[in-house]
Amino acid sequence: MNDREIFINMINDNLNEMNGTIDCLYITTSICAKNKLLNRLRRNMSNINLMLQGLRNGESMSSPPSIAERLFTMQDLSRYNGRDGNPAYIAVNGVVYDVTSNAAWGGATHFGLSAGTDVTSQFASCHAGQPILSKLKVVGKLVE
Amino acid sequence: MIKTKKIVINPVTRISGFMEINADIDNNIVEDARTEGLLFRGFEKMLEGRSPLDAVYFTQRICGICSAAHSVASTMALEDALGIHISEQGRYLRDIIHGCEFLQNHIRHFYQYTAPDFIKFPEGNTLFETDHTDFRLPQNKNDSVVGHYFDSLEYSRSAHEMLAILGGKAPHNHGVFIGGITTQATLEKISRLRSLIVGIRRFVCEKMIPDAYTIAEYYHEYFSIGGGYGNLLTFGCFNGYERLGSLYVKPLEYSEGKINELYPGEITETVYSSWYTARPETYMPFETIPEPDIKKSGAYSWVKAPRYRGLAYEVGPLARMWLSGDYRNGISTMDRTLARVLEAKKIANIMLTLLDHLIPGVEVQKEYDIPHSAYGAGLIDTTRGALGHWVKIENQVISLYQIITPSVWNLSTRDRNNLPGPGEKAMIGTMIINPDSPVELGRIIRSFDPCVSCATHVYSKGNLIKTMQVVP
Amino acid sequence: MPRRSANPQQIKSGWEVGRMNKVNNPCLNYSTRLKTASVLVHKAIEAIKHKDIQKRNLIWLELTGCSGNIISLLNGANPDFKSLASQMVNFIYDNSLMAAEGEAAMEKLYSMTGRDYILAVEGAVSTKDNGLYNIIGRWKGHPVTAYEVIKEFGEQAAYVIAVGTCASDGGISAARPNPAGCIGIQDMLDRKVIKLPGCPCHPDWFMGTLAYVMLFGEPETDNRQRPLMFYSTLIHDICPRRPYFDQGIFASKLGEKTCMFKLGCRGPVTRVDCPIRKWNDRVNWPIGDNTPCIGCAMFGFPDLMEPFISYDTT
Repeated sequence: MNDREIFINMINDNLNEMNGTIDCLYITTSICAKNKLLNRLRRNMSNINLMLQGLRNGESMSSPPSIAERLFTMQDLSRYNGRDGNPAYIAVNGVVYDVTSNAAWGGATHFGLSAGTDVTSQFASCHAGQPILSKLKVVGKLVE
Repeated sequence: MIKTKKIVINPVTRISGFMEINADIDNNIVEDARTEGLLFRGFEKMLEGRSPLDAVYFTQRICGICSAAHSVASTMALEDALGIHISEQGRYLRDIIHGCEFLQNHIRHFYQYTAPDFIKFPEGNTLFETDHTDFRLPQNKNDSVVGHYFDSLEYSRSAHEMLAILGGKAPHNHGVFIGGITTQATLEKISRLRSLIVGIRRFVCEKMIPDAYTIAEYYHEYFSIGGGYGNLLTFGCFNGYERLGSLYVKPLEYSEGKINELYPGEITETVYSSWYTARPETYMPFETIPEPDIKKSGAYSWVKAPRYRGLAYEVGPLARMWLSGDYRNGISTMDRTLARVLEAKKIANIMLTLLDHLIPGVEVQKEYDIPHSAYGAGLIDTTRGALGHWVKIENQVISLYQIITPSVWNLSTRDRNNLPGPGEKAMIGTMIINPDSPVELGRIIRSFDPCVSCATHVYSKGNLIKTMQVVP
Repeated sequence: MPRRSANPQQIKSGWEVGRMNKVNNPCLNYSTRLKTASVLVHKAIEAIKHKDIQKRNLIWLELTGCSGNIISLLNGANPDFKSLASQMVNFIYDNSLMAAEGEAAMEKLYSMTGRDYILAVEGAVSTKDNGLYNIIGRWKGHPVTAYEVIKEFGEQAAYVIAVGTCASDGGISAARPNPAGCIGIQDMLDRKVIKLPGCPCHPDWFMGTLAYVMLFGEPETDNRQRPLMFYSTLIHDICPRRPYFDQGIFASKLGEKTCMFKLGCRGPVTRVDCPIRKWNDRVNWPIGDNTPCIGCAMFGFPDLMEPFISYDTT
């Protein structure tokens, strides 16, 4: 079963639970019980919201493979700042990497650096000799 | 016989931050007094260019003992700027956090900061050795307060624990944010909070308030020492609820024997006696952030001087309790201490009311857009008195951030009319029994609960001519 | 969350096993680490009672900062402040708590010159205008700056413990444009400084470290001089919300119960044991409060950890 199917199954589970809760609501007179049921509905809704997000994230990750030799000018690169729907790219030694889902790039920023920039010198001063770049997805090359 | 003396006390311990008291004594009477803060960090300058949303966590670091106060004022300023109307439930939750801080602060201020001025600790602990001998409580009463010094730690700690239940951690909480707080009330949290507040309230009523009255009984002359101007001011707090109305006090001021409505638009700050240049020299909070200018002639300190309609005002628990009508015994050193401990009980009651009105499971957070340009003010009375944050946003970043803290009101410097600040005024005219051990001055100034960490603009170059000892 | 079928690949990774242990049976690693501070403090107190070790003198200097670390120390529950001040050390000097004031207070501080003491420092050191932006008292008529006092007492102390982020690395006191010219105390001293960053420092971190140096001497530290017993864990590795990260389920605003990576969470770059230890009698912590970690225990806080909150991340 892939992630997508897991999410869909879970959404269905939640919908079924909600159906049951709504049936109960019709016959409940106690305010206390009513509140509990309403809270359960809210919880289901927030669960479904989560699953939907998960589905969407799944889709964005399975977008068609990028062209390895895609060329970026500095201006192109600056568009990929990880904001408003754009992925987060950085350039190191002329290679452009995708850090959209890299844990250390929370909020598309990393130790005061923003995505969409060339961070070659900062990388050299902080991570020299560390096997970091090989774990990042390459999206293209930086051109003058 | 030498009649004129100069007294310098530095450090004034048992306050938050660094401070020097300078007093001229003539025939044992304080002729003139100056309060100088000795710490400058420049938060307002640091905030320029940062994301407005970061101000909430950033400004808390101004002060370790009243960090939540800054988070509340800064959040209110942002809500004003972003045009966000906070929900009633959001306010209850945020005000409960704020209440926790009042309790933590008042308990610590009374036992850890104030009490050692009046009670004698047993020999053998270096932290409590002191040089003065003016201890008057009978042994059994003295020892009981000493015991409560340590017992109180459990309750100030529970106040912070309550704060953390809703706010993540304390000091420097994460929970207070635009819209209220970041977590929801649950039945479990509400019952935990209730059991903690009931314990704190019991301690306040059964130990702290009686202890304060015991001290007041044996140091009765402090009801007539350290009065100052008698001008009182509050921005209001725990008031203006849609359903509950006012639980404490509205924005009010008291001067010339009359209580009047407060018009925050009439607050100004002046740098007349301070090492700053500003155009104009007396400005409204939104107008300008003064530039440091150490060579300015005629200036004697880096303390700025906030004024309301040109007058210096005292702020804090006594001001609130007086203006709300809860306490009208008088305005003096001892009245400040009594008002503070009585306020702790009042706050505990308010928190119980707010807890009763919490609805579990209400989500109050949203995603917020930062406007291209906007401005807003957050004015709230907090532990030590009236706190104001004013924020201006341009190009989606902070372009101006003005902070006027309660201690800047209380420790303010002289203005164009040469009027001393409220703390200075409270010391002037005091009779010093033993100028070699001027215990009165520390007691007076501590009754204001000064927080020099908060008065971040405050700076004194230090004058090498002055000496620390009592000299002819 | 409804139950989900576990992905076999994830089960293999260490954190998942640890997390499951925590749920099913208490993980030994977690429960032991929670006790570190109290075990050490009680050991030290016992050793003092049996005269195996001596009570030490403790000087606590509050310098250019918010004095929030001493407040945090008062929040210590087990061990608490009372056992520190009455059974572990002779508390010689602290601006916020000592009964003496003025010259008498400074006399206590200077009485330690040439004697054995442990120095705890909170707050950064202001260096602008000869350090005159932060004066901590007057000694023989002269103002004593933070700069002078750290020079005078730092080199001679038996141990120097930097309590909180400002003392460790400058912290918020050194935030750009650093109007008071603040630096961490290590930059002032030509000796080892044990750093306990955190804004504020957790009372357990300080009490545990102090007890450790009294019992065994210098604790093992990482390359930034932080004791490994408290600072060896990356928050992200033991974060209870890690499953959301791995599934790509992200919060879009504060107050949500999922991973706050997109809001700018600094858990993946911050090494400290917050997720286990938590705060204020272990009731909560920032991520538990549905807000991102802002990296307050990291060097470079706050400038390198900002923005604290981003809403529009992809």
